Amino acid sequence: MSDVVVNVNGLAKTFQVKQKAAGLRGSVRSLWRQNTREVTAVSDISFALQKGEMLAFIGPNGAGKSTTIKMLTGILYPSAGQASVLGFTPWKDRRKLGYHIGSVFGQKPQLWYHLPPEDTFRLFARIYELDMAEFQKRRDFLVESFQIADLLQTPVRKLSLGQRMKCEIAASLLHRPRIIFLDEPTIGLDVVAKQQIREAIRYLNEQEQTTIFLTSHDAGDIESLCKRVVIINHGRLIYDNSTSALKRQYLRRKIIDVRFAEPLTEPFALPCVETLKQGTHGLKLEFDGRDVPVETVVQQVMATKPTQDITIADPPLEEIIREIYKK
Amino acid sequence: MLLQLRRTTTKYTAITMTNLQNQLAYVWEALNRAVFIVLIMFVFVQLWTAVYETQGATEIAGLSLQATIWYFLIAEVMELGKIRHDERISEEVKDGSVAYTLTRPYNYLAYHFFNGLGETAVKMTLIFLLGLPLVVYYAGWPTVAPGQLLPVLLVGALAMLLDFFAFSIIGLLAFVTEDTFSFRLIYQKFVFILGGLMLPLDFLPGWLQPLARVLPFNLTTYAPAKLFVAFSWAQFWQILGLQILWLTIFGLILLRQYRWATKQLVVNGG
Ligand SMILES: Nc1ncnc2c1ncn2[C@@H]1O[C@H](COP(=O)(O)OP(=O)(O)OP(=O)(O)O)[C@@H](O)[C@H]1O
Ligand SMILES: [Mg+2]
Repeated sequence: MSDVVVNVNGLAKTFQVKQKAAGLRGSVRSLWRQNTREVTAVSDISFALQKGEMLAFIGPNGAGKSTTIKMLTGILYPSAGQASVLGFTPWKDRRKLGYHIGSVFGQKPQLWYHLPPEDTFRLFARIYELDMAEFQKRRDFLVESFQIADLLQTPVRKLSLGQRMKCEIAASLLHRPRIIFLDEPTIGLDVVAKQQIREAIRYLNEQEQTTIFLTSHDAGDIESLCKRVVIINHGRLIYDNSTSALKRQYLRRKIIDVRFAEPLTEPFALPCVETLKQGTHGLKLEFDGRDVPVETVVQQVMATKPTQDITIADPPLEEIIREIYKK
Repeated sequence: MLLQLRRTTTKYTAITMTNLQNQLAYVWEALNRAVFIVLIMFVFVQLWTAVYETQGATEIAGLSLQATIWYFLIAEVMELGKIRHDERISEEVKDGSVAYTLTRPYNYLAYHFFNGLGETAVKMTLIFLLGLPLVVYYAGWPTVAPGQLLPVLLVGALAMLLDFFAFSIIGLLAFVTEDTFSFRLIYQKFVFILGGLMLPLDFLPGWLQPLARVLPFNLTTYAPAKLFVAFSWAQFWQILGLQILWLTIFGLILLRQYRWATKQLVVNGG
């Protein structure tokens, strides 16, 4: 069992949200007199993560994902429960743990704003006490993986968001962390940048068995990276299984896309089938496989007009996730 | 052991150097701020020349006009050049970047010390050099003897450290209150009056002086400035003893406070 990287047991976090009065008096008073309201961000979650796993830790806004990451990286004390990351209790051994974990917060910059990324990389090499020769090899490897060679010498303030994010993630990987926590690393990026980041992360996981703990609202991130999904909602763990099981379990809905050889003359209608789009030659339908079998729908479609092309697809993962969140 | 020591040293040196490089982007801004010293020194010179004239005295509380002018330059260099990391901690807490800075393998306060050190060195030098021509013009060259320079520098260094400790206590309050502006303001008022920024302590009313001298505020500003213009070994030892005492007290407070504050910390954002 030495390959368990993260072990979380009954972890919970309740925030005391202060209702602080404005101004100096309010600040001073808030030191001892507190008008507080309790917010349960995470309640009683348990899971374990093996070495080399890539976990998607997802849930709607405010579900408690970031709060969980903050506890696992040791910057937040839990209200209850235990967690062990690489054998350390994060909030107690924060500094020792620091050598072995990496974290990326999509909304927060860590690179020095006025300096080129290269300078921050060098600083991190010192902070993590890397051997300089080793560091250079590592940097070259990451520069190659993230394709950031031509960005290294540009002051960070002159980089685009996507360029910067690639450098931010690379910076968090310099010290060869055994696990990396990625909190929405692809937020606000275009498809190409997203793809590059996903590929680099996957490559790293393959090459070094780096354990990946990823939160994202982008189903693409999850689909292309993670074999396993944990879903939390209102601070509770509501799903923990493989991504494919998630699809199978929730994949009752199908989408059929048809192109006809001749123009359609009448609106297509079938009970329990939703017509998403209808053009002169095209038709897009969605239905629940339990209400109407796929064969029935296909037969009906083919009976309407001669068909040129027909595709049957699963709805995107995004839709499945939306279904679960709604519950 | 030795290797670890070398790694630790290079670690904190790197932090200082990186911040210094980052600051170069602000050179003009820093210069702009430093020009303030010329203005304020000019006001001081006019003010105190008038005071000495109306008093018809060559010395007040043992300080000549020349000494007083030099006193204010050094006091301002100390005050304006100090590490202001409480603001930075407050920013980190507010924007949530403390999530990064707190999880790296270093001592969080040492990180801030070395982070501010380079900036402070630059600021102090700049302020001193900009104020120098004016002060030399009105007050001549300083009278400090070469042999006294070392103890003065020592007291100056400890003054900086003590100030860093005090502002660390204020800065760590940000872990709970997020904003430290109010606390800083109160502290600075004390430094202003009891720390010798407005008047050298020697000019304060007799009943207030003993109190002001044992409180920590004067040890960060008045102490190096006074020793620079009117050195005495007796006062040096007294100041040194008090500095060490207050460093110990603040250090102990910080140790406990750090543990308490990290438990209270609520990291924003995400
Ligand atoms: N610093 C804080 N003080 C008080 N409450 C907080 C704090 N941080 C988070 N919360 C609350 O805890 C809950 C979980 O927040 P968290 O940031 O973990 O959500 P999340 O799953 O990361 O959401 P998102 O997808 O929007 O990033 C929310 O209800 C939020 O209001
Ligand atoms: Mg979040």
